[in-house]
Amino acid sequence: MINHISELYGRQIKLSDLSEELQHHPDIHVRPALAKIAGRWVCTRCQAKLKPTLAGLPSGQFYCYECIQMGRMDTLQGLATVDEPNRFAAVKHPMSWRGHLTALQAACAQQIVEVFKDHRRHLLWAVTGAGKTEMLFPTIEWAIRHGLRIGIASPRVDVCIELFPRIQAAFDGVSSVLLHGKSEAPYQYCQITVCTTHQLLRFYHAFDVMVIDEVDVFPFSGNPMLHTAVSNAIKPSGGLLYLTATPDRSLLRAVKSGYLSVGYLPIRYHGHLLPEVTIIKLPKIAAQIKESRLPGQVMTMIGRLVAAKQRFLLFVPTIQDLQRVGAAISREKIRCRYETVFSADPKRLEKVAAMRSRSLDFLITTTILERGVTFPGIDVLVLKADDRIFSSAALVQIAGRVGRNSERPGGQVLLYCSTRSSSVKACDRQIKQMNQKARQLS
Amino acid sequence: MNCLLCNGQVDQGLTLSQILSFQALTTDSVCSACRRQFSPLNRVKTCRLCGRKLLAAMPDPCLDCEKWRRGFPYPFASRSLYEYNDAMREFMKRYKFMGDYRLRAVFSPILKAELRTTHRLIVPIPVHESTMATRGFNQVTGLLESLKLCECLATREQQKTGRQSAKNRLTRVLAEQPFKLKPDTQAQITAKPVVLVDDVYTTGTTIRHAAGLLMAAGAASVVGLTLAR
Ligand SMILES: [Zn+2]
Ligand SMILES: [Zn+2]
Ligand SMILES: [Zn+2]
Repeated sequence: MINHISELYGRQIKLSDLSEELQHHPDIHVRPALAKIAGRWVCTRCQAKLKPTLAGLPSGQFYCYECIQMGRMDTLQGLATVDEPNRFAAVKHPMSWRGHLTALQAACAQQIVEVFKDHRRHLLWAVTGAGKTEMLFPTIEWAIRHGLRIGIASPRVDVCIELFPRIQAAFDGVSSVLLHGKSEAPYQYCQITVCTTHQLLRFYHAFDVMVIDEVDVFPFSGNPMLHTAVSNAIKPSGGLLYLTATPDRSLLRAVKSGYLSVGYLPIRYHGHLLPEVTIIKLPKIAAQIKESRLPGQVMTMIGRLVAAKQRFLLFVPTIQDLQRVGAAISREKIRCRYETVFSADPKRLEKVAAMRSRSLDFLITTTILERGVTFPGIDVLVLKADDRIFSSAALVQIAGRVGRNSERPGGQVLLYCSTRSSSVKACDRQIKQMNQKARQLS
Repeated sequence: MNCLLCNGQVDQGLTLSQILSFQALTTDSVCSACRRQFSPLNRVKTCRLCGRKLLAAMPDPCLDCEKWRRGFPYPFASRSLYEYNDAMREFMKRYKFMGDYRLRAVFSPILKAELRTTHRLIVPIPVHESTMATRGFNQVTGLLESLKLCECLATREQQKTGRQSAKNRLTRVLAEQPFKLKPDTQAQITAKPVVLVDDVYTTGTTIRHAAGLLMAAGAASVVGLTLAR
């Protein structure tokens, strides 16, 4: 239940979620949740054009099935909004971060500030581990000084959860809030909002500065609803920055057509090159995993890493493979502590936290941990790297988990596969190309 | 086609019939990974009166049903298709409480296959008018869409009398009848065998209220069928 008017600033919220008193507040605009446009029901919140056969209810009402996970929009509902007033306390020295940007990072960071000064849309193509978050700090500082509202969103909840405390620590006198479907914390009007792209469906013309991190990833990539959510959440006068290490085709097309400007950062913050991948061909690996067995070479590697206390992530293509590989490892009786993780795993966040606190030797995971999450000093192993689940972008991201910190800038990326698939080859090539660019810069 | 529950790809060629050994149907609306999260009760030992899964030490009928047998004046047995596990709880949350009417397709082919050959009148448990107004559908009839139904039941306003009386719990519970027969429907059920359908069997009180009402109105016999138990 929403009780305070500030919770509606720059938002679009179901009228029935508002307290009785607030529903009659003079500053509230109410739009119908579904509107009939050219004879067709369109959802006001997510802009989906609804199919009458799917949207119709026996009562004669209609509802939006596209954005229903954020609460149902239907023909009985209204959508309440209050104009964004940018009502933030002035902060003299907003940035508490005392770190330094490298010369290359600083140049990129300055580019980003300019993007927002000019209200533009921009793509920053930076390698994994480039220090993207820190490069946002000058922009955030500038925005806060100017009383602007900042939204940082990612399609992945893990990315948001990792990002939020770093932003909070860097701007500790500034109000900030983290929003995602799994959080119980109540919404608060803040100058900085970190949230999943789904949560943006609840915002309307709110943000002057909008950043979308890991933009190429599911569920954002190829999802028109979430793209609508982003454009609705930005003020008409706001600017937009996309961040990624692996832009997909639609982003590159947007760059080509001039819809987005683009900047590159091919080198990691610590100045070391990306670890290149080792491709290991094991012709029978898929069949062996299907029988809950692992090739001897893989098992030996796992045993060796555990014995050396070298922590790692073990990627597999499917949830079924998690169990199979887990069973194979338990049978081997290697003394080790591990967990399996997949996207719908109810204990996912706890398991990731356990890995981070070093109470686990490794995680067996699906591609859900391919990005956003950083465990210092790890290696990665990918089983069935030629499976179609692993796109070249996914493999580049997975490889990007390694060598993130300056104390261990190297590390192993082992791709086990029966054939060199086009994605495996493309991953190998992209990493080498980025390293080539980096060498030219330094 | 995408899975109604996780939006992932539905594996082509894997039909419901292969998973549930029912007759051949169209491609499932749910992917096999999501489908596997539901736990069918047709392959485990269940209580013959309430359909719950029986653990090794439990008598058949179960103790709850023994109590009902002593306190409920009519013979009544109900069975259920699935366990009310986490996946089913989540399904109900999305279908019933969030109101995603499309999700009826996850189970309607299965319930309909179950009822296709019945000689009984199919009577769905009704929802309250206010629920119908806000939710826009009855979750039970949604699952039975396109079957011929006898919608003779309606909800009635709760009466708050008799609560303090010294009746035992069972009589009291049964006295608070939440349903009524719609006007002029009694003739439809007189001397007819009936199957009452509900989404979830929790304590068994709701479905017995309805069963008691139908028996008192002259139904020949009443059995229950619910999606989940
Ligand atoms: Zn919608
Ligand atoms: Zn699914
Ligand atoms: Zn029983």
